[in-house]
Amino acid sequence: MRTPRVRRVTVAAAAVGLAAVVSTGCGSDSESGGGESEGGVTTLAFAASTFGDPGRGPQLQEWIDEFNASQDEIRVEAASVPYPTFGQTVLTQMGGGEGPDLVRFDMPEFEAASDAGLIAPLDDLIDVSQYELLEQPDQFMVHDGVRHGIIFEASNYAMFYNADLIPEPPTTYEEFFDTAQSLTSGDIFGLAFRQTEAEEAGVWQDIFNYVYGFGGAWSDGENLTINAPENLEGLQAYKDLYDANVIPRGADAATFRRMFAEGKVAMELNNGGYATHLRAESPELNFDAAPIPFPVRSQGSILAPIVINEASSAKEEAATFIRWALEPENQVKLQEILGASSVATATERSSESLQDMPYLTTFDDLTESSLPQVVLGFEAQTPDIRKIVVQNVIAALQGQVDLETALDNAQEQATDLVG
Amino acid sequence: MSGEMPSERSGRHSEERAQPPAEQARNRARPEHTSGEMPSERSGRHSEERAQPPAEQARNRARPEPTSRLRIGLTLRIVAVLAVMGIAIFPLYWMFVTALSSDADLFASDARLLPDFSQFGVFVDALAEGETVRWLRNSLVIATGTTALSIVLGIPLGYALSRFSFRGKALMTVVLLLTQMLPEALMVVPLFSLFNRFELLDSLVGLILANAAFVLPIAALILKGAIDGIPRELEEAGRVDGARPFTMLTRINVPLIAPSIAAAAVIAFFHAWNEYVFAVTFIYSPEMQPASVGIASFIGEVGTPVQTVMAVAFMFTLPAVGFYLFAQKYVVAGMTAGAVKG
Repeated sequence: MRTPRVRRVTVAAAAVGLAAVVSTGCGSDSESGGGESEGGVTTLAFAASTFGDPGRGPQLQEWIDEFNASQDEIRVEAASVPYPTFGQTVLTQMGGGEGPDLVRFDMPEFEAASDAGLIAPLDDLIDVSQYELLEQPDQFMVHDGVRHGIIFEASNYAMFYNADLIPEPPTTYEEFFDTAQSLTSGDIFGLAFRQTEAEEAGVWQDIFNYVYGFGGAWSDGENLTINAPENLEGLQAYKDLYDANVIPRGADAATFRRMFAEGKVAMELNNGGYATHLRAESPELNFDAAPIPFPVRSQGSILAPIVINEASSAKEEAATFIRWALEPENQVKLQEILGASSVATATERSSESLQDMPYLTTFDDLTESSLPQVVLGFEAQTPDIRKIVVQNVIAALQGQVDLETALDNAQEQATDLVG
Repeated sequence: MSGEMPSERSGRHSEERAQPPAEQARNRARPEHTSGEMPSERSGRHSEERAQPPAEQARNRARPEPTSRLRIGLTLRIVAVLAVMGIAIFPLYWMFVTALSSDADLFASDARLLPDFSQFGVFVDALAEGETVRWLRNSLVIATGTTALSIVLGIPLGYALSRFSFRGKALMTVVLLLTQMLPEALMVVPLFSLFNRFELLDSLVGLILANAAFVLPIAALILKGAIDGIPRELEEAGRVDGARPFTMLTRINVPLIAPSIAAAAVIAFFHAWNEYVFAVTFIYSPEMQPASVGIASFIGEVGTPVQTVMAVAFMFTLPAVGFYLFAQKYVVAGMTAGAVKG
């Protein structure tokens, strides 16, 4: 008899589903984060895309655990939001009056959030005069006299190279091109960079170095200059490398970084945070870093501020955590976790660190010539401008349009956007 | 039944009757058949050959045997089925092989086609940390809850659209279809505000409701179509026996649309199982994250553990495949139920 059997199955499925709904519903709100206070302990959610990194994630968790152990009133919990959708997810949550109490943003999302009033002003919560903040990166934390963030990590871009494959690093673009070309053979590639729209933020970070390294800029502070001749020259250099087939086309950053770690890629432009990851993942790899060999010594830097969510009900507790992070010994520990990146304050690198990682000075020396990867004067609109520029540049890479026309199109579209 | 046709049998018998007794005995002493052919086929062919001119016989010999044609056809079909199965299964197999690859094998110039079981620890490590099991459990709760809710609400909705006449029925059907044309990303912000007001954020219940809202229209339309195909006379007979609408729905219609219920359940389960956008936005607590978000969280800013991602992704597919196989049984049973009866 089929009918009773079907009925039994249907009823059973419905019962299981409803039981699941009821059972999960009971505990739903009690487990949510966001400044929850329970038994005198305030629990804060701290969202950072770096918590998911295999190299740095576990060490950052240990650093947070030290804060939790240092007192018994506040507990910080890491909220691991996937990196590919981090900005979109957290901004949606904050826009809805929810989300984590503490957030480590990248600059474009930081600017968008502060412009939208989603970040709590820190002036009344943290007295920054007590700390020796690094001026160059810290200047981008203040908008119209209001402080919205504290640098959590500042990481300059440099050229990573496999020292076994490249005994002497190139010092000019021509040498850079020739080295990439001569080392590309079989399953080894001379260079790797991001070149797909799926990695929009990554492509933006990569092309930023080519534009600024060839003397260009996305704006003059008041007007967009996307199709300026210097930008075209820099992006033509980027396209020439793509056309020369010296990169593993189609490979995403995760893949070509693993290839670099396996000795299958000879060079890549990356930020200092990558050094820690490399050392953790491939201790045997003989790599080094040098300044990017482009005509102008100007490159991007990853500025990652820590901010307090305006919607948090525990702003004072969140500020307590930031004050703890700014204490000299905790800055040093954070610096060691982040490797070749800088932190908010000036810290002294130990002789052991310098001996162990001689390339640290390369990154430190680049601080004055590094810029955050935002469009100056249009900081809050950077994510939208980024999308337009990346779409047009990739169209040119794929041969749908010539590069000059692509930049003209991007200029026109972005100008329409910002008004 | 031997499998031979009556005409073939009678042809052979008449042939035997026309032969003298000795000839018949010799024929009986000969081996009955060679090269695997059926006796009935042989005898039928012999009688045909005797009646045909030599040129015609030669042409017939050149033609492939009927059994050979059948065999070739069967072989081609098996090859085609295996090829399609291979295409369907290969991504799953490749995930498994990648999960069990060493770092060196991952980027070797010659791809490794067979899994390296010495790397099996990646599965053990993924399960040992506890996160994977928690993610899968959350996904299972969300998918089961969404499926149950969609089916429980979709059956009466489909029944109402099929059987009752009311003002705005056509408009309602169109609106149900329209909901399928809205991308999830468009609904994230308004739904977030709504869920925030009703305190449904960071809970699996909220996620079940959000998923069911997207799946319910398509489930209802599938079930409406199935109920449309049931003769109204069956319900009229039930009504004569005093059955009420609810009884007619549950006792007459539901058993008959079981295959469609199973199909709708598969769609609902898969949608909820794979859903990412709502899950990543509406859930903050790591304890509540489903596997779709958990797997994405492996993708870091500077690195991604490919083998671990593939191992967890492989485990992530298994419950969905299991549910499909379970539901498919009912779909197939329903399709063939009428075919074998009177």
